[in-house]
Amino acid sequence: MIIIACGLLFLGILFYVFYPERHVEEQHQKTRLEYLRERKDVLYDNLRDLNFEYRAGKYVQEDYATQQADLENETAEVLAEIDVLESQPR
Amino acid sequence: MPTFGSFALLLALALSGYTLLAGAVALYQIAMRARARVAPERLAETARRAGIGSFIATTAAAFALVWAAFNNDFSVAYILHHTNRALPGPYKFAALWSGQEGSLLLWAWLLSAYGFVLRLRHKVDVKLTAYASTILAGVQVFFLLLLNFAAMPFSLVSGPVPQDGFGLNPLLQYPEMVIHPPMLYLGYVGFAVPFAFALGALMMRYPGEKWIHITRRWTMVTWLFLTCGIFLGAHWAYSVLGWGGYWGWDPVENASLMPWLTGTAFLHSVMMQEKRGMMKSWNVWLIFSTFMLAIFGTLLTRSGLVSSVHAFAQSSIGTWFWTFLIIVMSVCLFTFILQRDHLKAENKLESLVSRESSFLFNNLVLLAACFTVLWGTLFPVLSEYIQGNKVTVSAPFYNRVAVPIGLFLLFLTGIGPLLAWRSSSFKSIRKNFVLPSIAGLAAAVVVIACGVHPWEIFTTNEQGSFYAFFAFSLGAMVVTAVSAEFLRGAGVISRHTSQNLFASMVQLCRRNTRRYGGYIVHFGVVVIFIGIAGSAFNQSREEELGYKQSLNIGPYRVECQSYSQDSNANYDTEYALLDVYRGSKKITQLAPEKRFYAASQQPSTIVANHSTLAWDLYVIYAGKNPDTGQPIIKVFLNPLIAWIWIGVGIIVGGTGVALFPNMTAALAAARNRVPAAAQAAAAVPARGGD
Repeated sequence: MIIIACGLLFLGILFYVFYPERHVEEQHQKTRLEYLRERKDVLYDNLRDLNFEYRAGKYVQEDYATQQADLENETAEVLAEIDVLESQPR
Repeated sequence: MPTFGSFALLLALALSGYTLLAGAVALYQIAMRARARVAPERLAETARRAGIGSFIATTAAAFALVWAAFNNDFSVAYILHHTNRALPGPYKFAALWSGQEGSLLLWAWLLSAYGFVLRLRHKVDVKLTAYASTILAGVQVFFLLLLNFAAMPFSLVSGPVPQDGFGLNPLLQYPEMVIHPPMLYLGYVGFAVPFAFALGALMMRYPGEKWIHITRRWTMVTWLFLTCGIFLGAHWAYSVLGWGGYWGWDPVENASLMPWLTGTAFLHSVMMQEKRGMMKSWNVWLIFSTFMLAIFGTLLTRSGLVSSVHAFAQSSIGTWFWTFLIIVMSVCLFTFILQRDHLKAENKLESLVSRESSFLFNNLVLLAACFTVLWGTLFPVLSEYIQGNKVTVSAPFYNRVAVPIGLFLLFLTGIGPLLAWRSSSFKSIRKNFVLPSIAGLAAAVVVIACGVHPWEIFTTNEQGSFYAFFAFSLGAMVVTAVSAEFLRGAGVISRHTSQNLFASMVQLCRRNTRRYGGYIVHFGVVVIFIGIAGSAFNQSREEELGYKQSLNIGPYRVECQSYSQDSNANYDTEYALLDVYRGSKKITQLAPEKRFYAASQQPSTIVANHSTLAWDLYVIYAGKNPDTGQPIIKVFLNPLIAWIWIGVGIIVGGTGVALFPNMTAALAAARNRVPAAAQAAAAVPARGGD
């Protein structure tokens, strides 16, 4: 009985591991463009957060203006690089 | 069943070994674009499936051990030494982790379960998951090697099989012990997942911080398990060990605290990496350290390196663990040196008065606490090695260092959310700090008026009142700061949606669950600090109580109604029945016990506790006076203890909120029935920020 159980466990797992799968997921290398798009989303989030906190009355006008300018500059740089990469032929 | 269990463990080892080797070969081939007879993607897929298979095989082994416990199979040495026939069912189940071999099997099983979930969810990022899966398989191979060759749970008894087992350690025969170790292990083991992702991301030079996003929930769930495990352990110590306290700075308690401290630091500092691309090397080393400390904690518990009520006997597996730790450290160091240019920060710290710097301070303080605990834990071992005699470090050392550190952390918890990212001007600081500061000062006045005199530290060297004073005052400051955050955010939503403040707060939480869940967790931390501060005012009395004799403590009178003894198949017990009066009104009856377990021939204390929000009346049956035959009763009055457990409940709730995905702006708009045009205008400010 125990030998049968051991055999079933072994064969079952062996079958599962080596059963030939037709579709195998490709291991895709993340590109610079994908990274920049992620970065853009994060920067948009940061801008939204900043606006929200300003509207909530947490920052004074000067702090808000400085931070918004910094974030917008950073976002503009990322967007410019995205534009360049997107315009390149694949 | 032992044969089946042993076979399953061997099969699990073979499968994990295959996952490690085939996975590593496939990743190498893909990275080098090497030609191969079998496509590397196919090889990687078999490795992934073998990892899933190792979970099935490890589950079968764990099942075999539990089966043997429930069927009183005393031919298995582990079952013989950790169970007996009269042991209640839940404790037979708990036998799986009550001994060294079983608890290592639990480690391996939980690791394979985490790996199982990770491998099922591989489509989230196939390549990164393949790296993480291979690294996890390496950890799994270590534990399965231990189980197959050094700490075998299915070893058979030599000679005739005894009719009954030696029983479970009485200290472990308590309901919480059925859930405390698995919780703690879920925490320990769970840190292997973010560790594997971090190391994998570094090995493959993963661009960006998405690996943090992928592992965020893993890290939070793991942290929550470890938090619950630590506090369940504290509650167990409070309820079972019978010394009136919940934390004794025992080496094994410390072992669980260290990865918690670095894990907490990691949870905070990754936000800086996600939002600003800063502290990348720091974060990588934080999660490496957290995982290594989790392994080190297991080493402390398993090897007998230090003496503790929790630790198991001296054993040879310490050498295995040290070897594994050295391998892990070498791999981490080698990978870091090789890829350190990949971890260059994208931004710099712009100001010392900013959210970033508060996170940095928070991290430094948490690491200082971790180092203190590590130093105190290892000091006896180091002193014995260097001087030849063991110098034990006791609670006063830890309290002297850890309490101020804890209070400084509480302070940072309050000010962090009030500071802006990048830099805060003096005007902003003044605007945000006024209300919390007033609340802190008001609380200080109230606390002094209530009789807590912090200046006693200078006259009587009494530190309790001093620290309690700061805990209450800072607690008020943090609660005000957190409440202000909620009210401000809810106010914005309320103005946009015309909802009432409560509905706006709910929506605020749902729109940025991580941030506001985090604030709820901070609130829970304050509540725990309040509970801990209560210990500065503990009282205790010990008296021999005959029939109708009583003792007074605080507002209570404890009167002995009877004392007797009893026995069942599992243990003999002596107990006293005590009526508790407040004024002339009887409020409850308590029955503290002292048990003597037949199978293990060991005594155990069963504490009787009457818990209220104000204090716990904690009663111990300390034994009988041999001359008079009357029971000796020890009574503690422990203020505010219940708030510690309530605080943990709040932390669980807050983490639960943080684990929920954010409600999207579109869904929020649909819920609020805001016209599309108006919503478009409101979309930017309508989300709470991090």
